[in-house]
Amino acid sequence: MSENAASRWHPIAAAHDVPYRHVFHGQLLGREFAVWRADDGFVNVWENRCLHRGVRLSIGINDGRELKCQYHGWRYSNRSAGCTYIPAHPADAPARTITIRTYPVAERYGFIWSCLDPVTEMPDIAALDQKDLVLLRGISVNAPADWVIERLKTYQFWPTNALGEAAAETVVEGSDEFCVTLRSSRNGAQTRAVLLVQPVDAGRSVIRGALDAAPAGKERIAVLRHHNERLSALRDEVERQAAAQPAPIPIEPVYQPVTPELAAMPERAPPGRNAALRVVVARKWRAGEGVAGFELRAVDGYLPTFQPGAHIDVHLPNGQVRQYSIVNAPGETASYVIGVKREPDSKGGSQCLHEAVQEGDVLAISEPRNNFPLRRNATRTIFIAGGIGITPLLAMALALHHSRFAYELHYFSRSRDHFAFPERLGVLGDNLKPHVNLSPETTEARIRELLAVRRPRMQVYVCGPGPMLDVARRIAAEHGWSDSEVRFEYFRNTRKLDDSTGFEVALSRSCITLAVSPGQSILAALRERGIAIPSSCEQGACGTCIATVLEGEPDHQDVYLNDAEKRGGSRIITCVSRAKSARLILDL
Amino acid sequence: MIRLYDYELSGNCYKLRLLMSFLKVPYAVVPVDFYPGRQHKSEWFLRLNPLGQLPVIDDEGFVLRDSHAILVYLASRYDPAGPWYPLDKPAVLGDVGQWLAFGDSITATASAARLHDGMFYDLDIGAARAGAHRLFRILDEHLWFGEQEGRDWVCRAAHPTIADIACFPYVMLSEEGGISRQDYPAIRRWCDRFKRIDNFIVMPGVFPASHALAA
Amino acid sequence: MNAKPKCSDPVILNLWHAIVAFAELRPNTVYETVLLEEPVSFAIDSAQTPVAWRSQPAYRAGDTVDPARVADRLLTLSAYGYVWICLGTPAADIFPIPEYFEAKRRNLNAATIGVHVSAPRAIENFLDMGHFPYVHTNILGAEPHTEVKEYEVEITPDGNEVVATRCRFYQPKASAASTEGGDIEYVYRVPHPYCSVLYKTSHVDTARLDVIGIFIQPIDQEHIRAHMLLCLVDEDNDDVAIRRFQLTIFGQDKPILENQFPRRLPLDPRAETPIRADKSSVAYRRWLAQKGVTYGVIPAAT
Repeated sequence: MSENAASRWHPIAAAHDVPYRHVFHGQLLGREFAVWRADDGFVNVWENRCLHRGVRLSIGINDGRELKCQYHGWRYSNRSAGCTYIPAHPADAPARTITIRTYPVAERYGFIWSCLDPVTEMPDIAALDQKDLVLLRGISVNAPADWVIERLKTYQFWPTNALGEAAAETVVEGSDEFCVTLRSSRNGAQTRAVLLVQPVDAGRSVIRGALDAAPAGKERIAVLRHHNERLSALRDEVERQAAAQPAPIPIEPVYQPVTPELAAMPERAPPGRNAALRVVVARKWRAGEGVAGFELRAVDGYLPTFQPGAHIDVHLPNGQVRQYSIVNAPGETASYVIGVKREPDSKGGSQCLHEAVQEGDVLAISEPRNNFPLRRNATRTIFIAGGIGITPLLAMALALHHSRFAYELHYFSRSRDHFAFPERLGVLGDNLKPHVNLSPETTEARIRELLAVRRPRMQVYVCGPGPMLDVARRIAAEHGWSDSEVRFEYFRNTRKLDDSTGFEVALSRSCITLAVSPGQSILAALRERGIAIPSSCEQGACGTCIATVLEGEPDHQDVYLNDAEKRGGSRIITCVSRAKSARLILDL
Repeated sequence: MIRLYDYELSGNCYKLRLLMSFLKVPYAVVPVDFYPGRQHKSEWFLRLNPLGQLPVIDDEGFVLRDSHAILVYLASRYDPAGPWYPLDKPAVLGDVGQWLAFGDSITATASAARLHDGMFYDLDIGAARAGAHRLFRILDEHLWFGEQEGRDWVCRAAHPTIADIACFPYVMLSEEGGISRQDYPAIRRWCDRFKRIDNFIVMPGVFPASHALAA
Repeated sequence: MNAKPKCSDPVILNLWHAIVAFAELRPNTVYETVLLEEPVSFAIDSAQTPVAWRSQPAYRAGDTVDPARVADRLLTLSAYGYVWICLGTPAADIFPIPEYFEAKRRNLNAATIGVHVSAPRAIENFLDMGHFPYVHTNILGAEPHTEVKEYEVEITPDGNEVVATRCRFYQPKASAASTEGGDIEYVYRVPHPYCSVLYKTSHVDTARLDVIGIFIQPIDQEHIRAHMLLCLVDEDNDDVAIRRFQLTIFGQDKPILENQFPRRLPLDPRAETPIRADKSSVAYRRWLAQKGVTYGVIPAAT
């Protein structure tokens, strides 16, 4: 096989080979592919191998949004091919970027095309550039591509409108290493056939063909049968010839090693409050009363994989940084959708997004982080959303909905008009339980009803305004719910912070001791000494800047850790919490 | 109740479990240890079926052997108006008969290769695999043209028939005999369609498909 | 008969390998198999004593033979209901399974099944719990109960075994008596690079442990015969029902094993992506690397 075979775009399937909810088993130059079409129409061409244990993804499940490995149920997202869920560890968001190797794809001229080693985009092919192509049935041949090409140069067929008549004349219009263009003529009838040979492996090929004339109905079937018959005969001939020779040695598949980071046990997220991604505001709309919806598209390439419950930092033109949950359903990876509520007492974040940011603007955002992971090992899941707290819970509900798990989404809101993303809520059907225009007392009573019956293997997620979360937290405690059964996400830390103390922090692994002065956070003191740890909201709500405490008594001021974790004293949120003891030793 | 003399890993027995599941016909399983126990060659079983082959059913004293004969019987008896074996459509019945025979050829090749590789049957494995590939080429072509003509199933009918059931198991298990289905994309799509029939059940070696995209 | 062995891995050559269950043999009859790419013939006499030799034209499969008259014999031993042979110089005795000798236990060969995979891939699958809900759906596991809880793995101080303990996994029907699901406890031992033994809460008596052994006979680096020993406390079910259950489980694993690539087990940690649930497989791979096993694996580049 010549060297340019790898840099050339080849057809690897007919478009009709890749229907919805199917996984096509493809191969090009010895590399196996799992090829699958998501419900949004996008065709994914992936290395046919789960990164976990090497099982072929072509035996997996295409649920329309994600591809699920048959062995351990790992889920990989449409487009990005990133892992979104590892069922063996339901409580952990897959922190590492576990991503299946993807290959470039183009769906054109009725074929799916890919390339192992692209130097250019998929080129135009003039001979195929017309509307009414007839796609022939692909013919697999157990022979090398160059043998097939040679034989195809002598392929004889009848023009489409002159089937069954006396011999037609077929001439070669053009040919190269993997393509032969033929024209058959008789009595003025003419048909052009473009025959592409896909090099599957050293000794295996597929003939994929298209005709320029498009008859309809029975005549179309007759033409397809004509070529199928003649190409099958040609195949038999080439295969007989190939069988007389020693079989070529199959191309040794190359499995790229995973990164050292992936090879080790899970690591924590990379440091800093960074804004690695650039996105364009593709759409801005009124997503509900007082809520602006933003659809954010990557400036180039794909957006990183997100999990339900994840948030991004949005760096605003006014210099502020705000956190917003990603609303997207699984597999919806062409853009991120966020909902921004206009806060009357806003320090300018929501106001800036509502007023200043327009469609077409470019924003800097962080990679998605997930400190509010969705466990999918519950027999029943209850989501309780208040106001704009719907955003992470909507993404979670959509994930369970598409996997057909049992759940209910209780949405507390001032009115139906205030419902954010009504078109997305509509997908949930009866699983959406609206609670509209309730007084604080009635809201409390409803939450009490929801939490009254505690059953094993049930999970509850609550997100909403601070007072509602405090009420839910109190009721959950009264009914004996454990911290692992009910999870809360605060979108703001409304507690009054006390940063009047001064204390010492020792870092056991770095062998550094530093002083944290009144008015300064641990996080800021660390940064001052050049120690970068990841952070996001920097107000004690999101949990990104968590650290492990080895010694000393933390003074917890965050709303991220639950009571048990706070009592345990082994974790600290470094952006707001401080020390009760004179000294803290952190595992950093 | 029907008693099915059954071996869990047998594709021929699976054909009957499939049809009885599709038709919601209750039955009881009598396990027969085909491998390694060779109970199908034991005296008590040979009295039931002198050919020493599985499956056999006993429907309240009516004993019948041969998976395809039993498919015909069960569909006719328990789904008389139904589409699995449409008694009122002679052309479809002819088509079914033709493809039941094709299913037997798949058993003789693809199933034989699986027995060779998994349970060490002494036979010409090269011939078995080559024979299966020959059949799969024919089936793939038939199903591809079916898709072009708007037909989803093996026979010329809008609904699957017992011919689909007769062909499915040993196609689906072929890789256990070293017969890849990579070159048969239309067969792979038909397998997905088959798995989406209501009340489809699996057997070891067969995984379920995803749910179809709602129209 | 001193042809150069096809397998050049001394660790594997010097091990005992199970090749057949006694229950499958008639006395004084020649049988054939392949071990490490070497054709091997064997027979037992009427006292169940096994004799094995490198295949030679004088004895063909099915022939009647007086085992006592066969010359140039291979080393054999009888253990746990199987004939074991060694093509090299045995470095150690066969590993102990004390439960096999307990009173009131049912010992039987569930089956011997051929699989197109390497021996270590099959062992690793045997050690794995995370696949239960997906591969053994509604039998050994069921969604949404997919969590693999923390467990312990160690290599015994003598370096001879990998042992995983306190392994628990949710099973939809925890015992024959119960209709509800619950956690089942497992202990896994890997006392031989190609053999593993698991201990599992008994289906009929939750206070006792069933024992299931898997002894892999390597035909070559990518083909195996898996011999499955059952050593159960079950006195209710008959052999046919017990075997049927075990073959269902193994039949479900087979298509997974045959779709794993590369077929040989990669020992380079960067070849695949472990998670905490894979502690036992990480330990197994390291142990194989430390022992210097090269057959059936892709050794890490040095």
